[in-house]
Amino acid sequence: MHLLKKETQILKMKINFTKEQNLFRDEVRTWLESNVPETPLLSLDTKEGFEQHREWEKTLNQGNWSMVTWPKEYGGRGLDLIQWLIFEEEYYRAEAPTRVNQNGVFLLGPTLMEFGTHEQKSKFLNAMATGDHIWAQGWSEPGAGSDMAAIRTTAVLEGDHYKINGQKTWSSRAAYADWTFGLFRTDLDSERHRGLSFILVPLDLPGITVRPIPQLDGEPGFAEIYFDDVKVPVENLIGGDGEGWKIAMATAGFERGLMLRSPARFQQTAAKLLELYLAKQDHCSPMIQAKVVEAWAQSESYALSIYHTASKMLDGGSIGSESSLGKIFWSELDHMMHQTALKILGASAELSQESKNDAAKWIKGFMFSYAGPIYAGTNEIQKNIIAERLLGLPR
Amino acid sequence: MNFIFTEEQIQFKDAIKAFLSEECTPSSIRDGWQANSSFNLDRWKNLIELGVLNSNLPQDKGGLGMDQVTLALMVEEMGYAGLPEPVAEQTFLVNDVIPFLPKNITEAIESNYNDGTQYIALAHPLAPNPLFLNNSAGLILLDNSECKFIAKDDMDFEIMSSNDPSRELFKINSINNAICASENFDEINSAISARGALMTAALLIGLAQKMIDLSSVYVLDRTQFGKPIGSFQAVKHMLADVAVKIEFAKPAVYRAAYSLSENNPKSALHCAHAKLMCSQAAELACKNSIQAHGAMGYTWEMDLHIYMRKAWSMMACWGNEDRQQELIYKTLSSTSEELGVLYTF
Repeated sequence: MHLLKKETQILKMKINFTKEQNLFRDEVRTWLESNVPETPLLSLDTKEGFEQHREWEKTLNQGNWSMVTWPKEYGGRGLDLIQWLIFEEEYYRAEAPTRVNQNGVFLLGPTLMEFGTHEQKSKFLNAMATGDHIWAQGWSEPGAGSDMAAIRTTAVLEGDHYKINGQKTWSSRAAYADWTFGLFRTDLDSERHRGLSFILVPLDLPGITVRPIPQLDGEPGFAEIYFDDVKVPVENLIGGDGEGWKIAMATAGFERGLMLRSPARFQQTAAKLLELYLAKQDHCSPMIQAKVVEAWAQSESYALSIYHTASKMLDGGSIGSESSLGKIFWSELDHMMHQTALKILGASAELSQESKNDAAKWIKGFMFSYAGPIYAGTNEIQKNIIAERLLGLPR
Repeated sequence: MNFIFTEEQIQFKDAIKAFLSEECTPSSIRDGWQANSSFNLDRWKNLIELGVLNSNLPQDKGGLGMDQVTLALMVEEMGYAGLPEPVAEQTFLVNDVIPFLPKNITEAIESNYNDGTQYIALAHPLAPNPLFLNNSAGLILLDNSECKFIAKDDMDFEIMSSNDPSRELFKINSINNAICASENFDEINSAISARGALMTAALLIGLAQKMIDLSSVYVLDRTQFGKPIGSFQAVKHMLADVAVKIEFAKPAVYRAAYSLSENNPKSALHCAHAKLMCSQAAELACKNSIQAHGAMGYTWEMDLHIYMRKAWSMMACWGNEDRQQELIYKTLSSTSEELGVLYTF
């Protein structure tokens, strides 16, 4: 027995960018350099800021950059995941505005691509790309948080429409968004994850009341949505009636995985943290150095892992429960980095007005970093998923 | 950009995994402990026959010309199996470093080395007690300024006990004759240090995976309160935490190996990164695995400690977590413009 015949050439893995990929990077960089607004936009959790961010989505679309992985007919460029990661790297490098439509482009978009009809794709993907439809998520209910299968909001089929009654909550972006997507119980006799359907709902329909919820940062980013005999046309159903759970699980996978949280975001934060430490190291404890190194090491690992995953997907693989590993990793990393920044800043960390304190973004980011381990399925739920589906432990 | 392994690379990994699962069982490791002789000559000869020992020597020296990524994948499996013989050391620290060594040293090695079939031990300030010196043909010794080769008969040494009985460590008491060289010392030293970090990282990730696998089986088997303890969230979450650490340490190993194979000037940084991530993963794997095993984890009878002991040693030698952090910090603080989003690859 021998490992290999000696004359055989061993083929090697290649993890360098190709010439085409580097040219693509240049193209993205050039466009962003001349289009990213010079003055930062207002917070997207304010009415005015939200509309500024909608304008930015339109600008992106004019450059054909809304979502580079989508097919050309839906406003994309038909590019692969590696190119998307390159786009994201340049996007964060350029400090371009937060994507107000991330629920749309990163979550609903891929869901429609997999489960939508041709009509649904052309209608919703194009409106998403142009920024005309900004999307909110509609999963949680007062009695259905981590236990999402306990959803009770009903959608009863009556001829050519569903009549919706009930309440959604913690709906991200719903304070100002145009549409929401979510799960509704279409079979009233069903229990748990059976009898649920994935339906798209315009938020300006009669019978809908949106009540913004002020967040920890004081701004209304998420909201409650009340449905009182709301009539939604049946063509807004995605997939089959009763197939909602399967579709929602796919959407949740996109949210936890590489789509919503591409590595560039965390690498950029790590680089800023190092810059902050190098500028202030004479005024803070040397013990902080190890945390700064951790920030670099972990964000680097996250990037490597995502390129590894993207390569596997391009090779025909799929991503399943592994996205739960990533969600825990990036959310804890993000919190650790912001916590470290506050330690470096010391007593001035609490100065929160950005116009008077350059470092104010750290305290804002710090507060938002507490949301990471909660949204997209709490980290405790992710650990159950890992234990049960990846390690084979019993429910 | 295609960060996946080639079919050949997977074949090598599978071949060594299959071999070790037959030939390097916990009971065979315990037999070595019992006999006070963990270097199993039969297994060593079989590994030579399999082509593993000289796999990364050039083809004109009787090897396969294997690259560091493939080698790292194989070393990961050696960690998983808890292989006592110094195969990772021979391939990563000797074969792979030969191109860096001065001519008088390589000539001395080659005359004692016989197509990569003789074991050559190595001592370095980061791993000062050479492994299995009594089974070697000689020793490469790096001190603070000089590289030496010492044939086995030209030195006096004594055995030291390791906390891992699979590791027979030695102390050199006197050297009667040595081939010495001081040229290229810094280059040799950093080549060996980087490979030491990467080798221990790859072993650690395999060991961590083994510990989590053993724990996952144990918590299914052990019942309390009328249920398998693996159904309790407190236990699930401990093991899930380890799975997260392993997932994000692995790609760091493959990237570091790739950097070495491409002579990337940042390979020392990348190897330090791999060792840091893998040490942390293995450390948590030890702690949470013994906890998941309860009192059984604290017994000699349970196999868990075979791997835990090796992991503790691998974390400590070739630069521990703190040393790697220090190395990374020095690089980051001196080249801050080359860090971050655009410099992963």
